[in-house]
Amino acid sequence: MSNAADQASSRASFKAGVIECLQLIPSYIPFGLVCGVAAMQAGLGEWGAVAIAAFAFAGSSQAVLTQFLSSGAPLTIAILSGLVVNLRMAVYSAAIAPRIAGATPKERVLWAAFLVDQTFISNEARHQRGEHMNHPLAFYLGCALTLWPWWVLMNAIGAFAGAKLPASWQLDFTIPLSFVAMVVPLLKSRSQILAAIAGGAAGVLLYAMPLKLGLIAACALGTCVGMTVDALLKLKTSEATR
Amino acid sequence: MNWGGFGTVDGWLAIIGLAIGTFAIRYSFIGLLAGKKLPPRFERALQLAVPAIFAALVVPLILFQGNQLNLTMRWPHAVAAIITGIYAWWRGGMLLSLVIGMASLHALLWFFA
Repeated sequence: MSNAADQASSRASFKAGVIECLQLIPSYIPFGLVCGVAAMQAGLGEWGAVAIAAFAFAGSSQAVLTQFLSSGAPLTIAILSGLVVNLRMAVYSAAIAPRIAGATPKERVLWAAFLVDQTFISNEARHQRGEHMNHPLAFYLGCALTLWPWWVLMNAIGAFAGAKLPASWQLDFTIPLSFVAMVVPLLKSRSQILAAIAGGAAGVLLYAMPLKLGLIAACALGTCVGMTVDALLKLKTSEATR
Repeated sequence: MNWGGFGTVDGWLAIIGLAIGTFAIRYSFIGLLAGKKLPPRFERALQLAVPAIFAALVVPLILFQGNQLNLTMRWPHAVAAIITGIYAWWRGGMLLSLVIGMASLHALLWFFA
């Protein structure tokens, strides 16, 4: 490919990422505002609220950390709980690693820096559609550079203006809805569906586990269920062919 | 004009701790595994871990009111989420899925209020 054509296709990938993630922007508004307000209540100050949004870029862990700080929990427990909420990103990190085999060390830092639920799943979906061949990083950065500034801005408005949307609008519900809309089309096999069902049920049952460990325990459980179903299905087909 | 404050020292320690720890988690396998071939079983486990973790994240967000399971209050949310899932699976498209999900939620809440 000529240099100019390559540059054009890189730009097209970036644009595709922007367009994909612009659709997620409404779901960031309520949660970003709430996180900004919560950071103020936890005593981070306006600039602390902006900094945590910019450098952690992980809403649910920000919410957990500030909630723990506000309730007077020890600093280490607050940080640790926030980090346990983010442990799921280690799974994303492992899942994305084989997809970026050719990335340079600098590029790997970029992949890691913006790895959140939304950027990860957008990238997975693109991969499944088979559009990943050229410029995976350009697409990813299109996604990340749409969502990240918007996330920081929403947190800042929450912190500086104390702005909240009317609760009756239920706009915070757009977060789980966006996850549903992103993940359901990616479910391809019976084992994946059963892993999701088991993970969801365990997520509810283990919700109250200390240090927010329920999430990661539910992930492990759902994965085990999926692997078991895989093994059973394999057994059945091998019996059928015998 | 509110120029903003900087909060407490503990607050900044928390910010630094969360930011560094979260980056370490994000970089973990990207740094360790990039360019390496994974064993097929491990790769399969990851394909199953992703739906499991999203479900574990999402189901409580749908069914919980405060910190508790509350089906009497949250069943319209569950129905709206199922409608969203069906539409997304059938057609895809984030924005329209979100619009349909929120519209069905408000229709249900209004109708059964």
